[in-house]
Amino acid sequence: MLQNADLTLSRPRGFALPVLRLSRPSPYALVVWGVFTLLALPLVATLGYALASSWGATLLPDGLTLKWFLELWSTPRFQWAFARSMLVTVGALALSLVLVVPVAFLAHTRYPRLDAWMNGLILVPFAVPPVVSSVGLLQLYAGGPLPLVGTPWILMFTYVTIALPFVYRAIANSLRTIEVTSLMEAAQLLGATPFKTFFLVILPNIRVGVQVAVFLSFSFLVGEFVFANMLVGTRFETLQVYLNNMRGASGHFTSALVITLFLFTLLLTWLGNRQAGHTITKEARS
Amino acid sequence: MTTLTADTLSNDATLLPDTPDTACDDAGPVASPASAAAPEYLRLEGLAKRFGETQVLSQIDAEIAKGEFVTLLGPSGCGKSTLLRAIAGLNQLDDGRIVVDDEEITALPPQQRGVGMVFQHYALFPNMRVTDNVAFGLRMQKVPQEERRRRVDEVLRLVELQAHADKFPHQLSGGQCQRVALARALVVEPRILLMDEPLSALDARIRGHLREQLRDIQQTLGLTTLFVTHDQEEALMMSDRIFLMHDGRILQQGAAEELYTRPSGRHAAGFMGHYNVLLGDQARPLLGDSVDSARVALRPETLYLQPLTEGAMSVALPVRPGPGCRGVIRRRQLLGNIVRYAVACAGVVLSVDALNRGSRHLLAKESEVLVVVDLDEVQEFEE
Repeated sequence: MLQNADLTLSRPRGFALPVLRLSRPSPYALVVWGVFTLLALPLVATLGYALASSWGATLLPDGLTLKWFLELWSTPRFQWAFARSMLVTVGALALSLVLVVPVAFLAHTRYPRLDAWMNGLILVPFAVPPVVSSVGLLQLYAGGPLPLVGTPWILMFTYVTIALPFVYRAIANSLRTIEVTSLMEAAQLLGATPFKTFFLVILPNIRVGVQVAVFLSFSFLVGEFVFANMLVGTRFETLQVYLNNMRGASGHFTSALVITLFLFTLLLTWLGNRQAGHTITKEARS
Repeated sequence: MTTLTADTLSNDATLLPDTPDTACDDAGPVASPASAAAPEYLRLEGLAKRFGETQVLSQIDAEIAKGEFVTLLGPSGCGKSTLLRAIAGLNQLDDGRIVVDDEEITALPPQQRGVGMVFQHYALFPNMRVTDNVAFGLRMQKVPQEERRRRVDEVLRLVELQAHADKFPHQLSGGQCQRVALARALVVEPRILLMDEPLSALDARIRGHLREQLRDIQQTLGLTTLFVTHDQEEALMMSDRIFLMHDGRILQQGAAEELYTRPSGRHAAGFMGHYNVLLGDQARPLLGDSVDSARVALRPETLYLQPLTEGAMSVALPVRPGPGCRGVIRRRQLLGNIVRYAVACAGVVLSVDALNRGSRHLLAKESEVLVVVDLDEVQEFEE
């Protein structure tokens, strides 16, 4: 492959043979498709299993059915787990926005040193492995004045800390792309209070950044298992914990569950990326 | 960009609204024309400001008449923007009073001062269309929608942007953005318009056009205007009066011509018109023994070069020429209609400007010349 690439590079431009090039797939494309296939194969197999009526001793499944999906989606326990996951992640993200937006805004306008502090702080969730910090959290909140372990609250608060780096960076970056100080001054001279300026001028301009952060954090928080299992486990069964608990059930059933989770995450990531794409084209145009 | 050129270079005759007085028929302060000029509409009394150890403004005293266009001119860091922002209320002052129309505004918050401001980088609200940007101030004042729309239309017509009313700032060129910013500041009918280097971010051609348009609008509305720039040419072209600033002080204030031809001191001469500032002793060979001041300033276009090479064309000399001093041309720069020579003469290098009358008149590098001074245009300073 390397040789091939060298040849293409060293060949003078005028002598390129377009016909040959068109008929032979580029080696880079082969690599990309190879990796893609490798990654997609387990998913495709799982999807196949989730759609198979039964798949035993034969090479191909006996028949195709949506039975497993329908059964999963109509199981109350699944619906509850889904709802709980939604509740915890939406709550965590709402809370982190309420906390982070004002902080990022102040760090950007009034207290530049706060930004340095925040940049250090947002590394902590990466530096401490979830298993370690969940043990710590268990110690702290199992009893004492604030017995949160086993309640959805502890999960929600913990998720705020995991989402913090993404949410803070995204908002800080969006603030950097607009001239916050002169926009504030311009609005103030035109008679707007700082409060109005924030909601009419600043917030709409960082909206896209906030959305991207929210969608992306959402998709990985929905897939979070370690904290959910350690801190609340079956007392507040979220999707990932439910998946773990169902591993003894029918393989078709769990396959349908995995595919459902995957599609849901895919949808959210796609929504987040689509927003990011919009911003990029918008910026490129200006 | 193509629409921009066509648009901004449109006929000058269309620059002004057909009926200028309709543009501001509400009895706002803007509406009264410059003819009603009372002296000292805006008074600055002993303004001072320091940032930490540096004194950025000291002893600023000035009076500005209603409808006057005053430019704050000076190199970067001279305090001109700080002064403008202090008048807007965006910077706090340590000392002094600002009075507008007999009302002291020194302690008022920016929104209550009745000032409009245009920023160097426009500071338009990116999430709003042109109309919403312009209407913002009226919305904050809770002006009814019907009137709001009418006033926005009028001011957009004034800055010739009706065609772009529904666009977002990122769809506009720099010149158009700055006109939106101007419209946004004008629509609330400020008592004073402040402009902080509004043309500096634009390219030369747009800048030239917008300069004229700004001046026209200012004259039409009779708007008291403070304009900050570091561009001498811009200041000379646009202003009724120029305040030349240096190290946080107003070095000299006066009409453009006065500032240009009669600088008050060596700093003023150093900033205006590329003056050659020489010590008295250095200037003696050029001026003769009559010089007894510490320093003299010579404007490049008041120096005449008489070629000493044979067969060269002679030049017309001033009415009262100096004794003349032999020199050698060290460098020649073509600035377009002007040729700028660096001439080594009696131990100093002088900058001399001559009109570019064609290649036959150009003097070659290293050729010998006689430098003759117009004695009527020599500025003498005691320090």
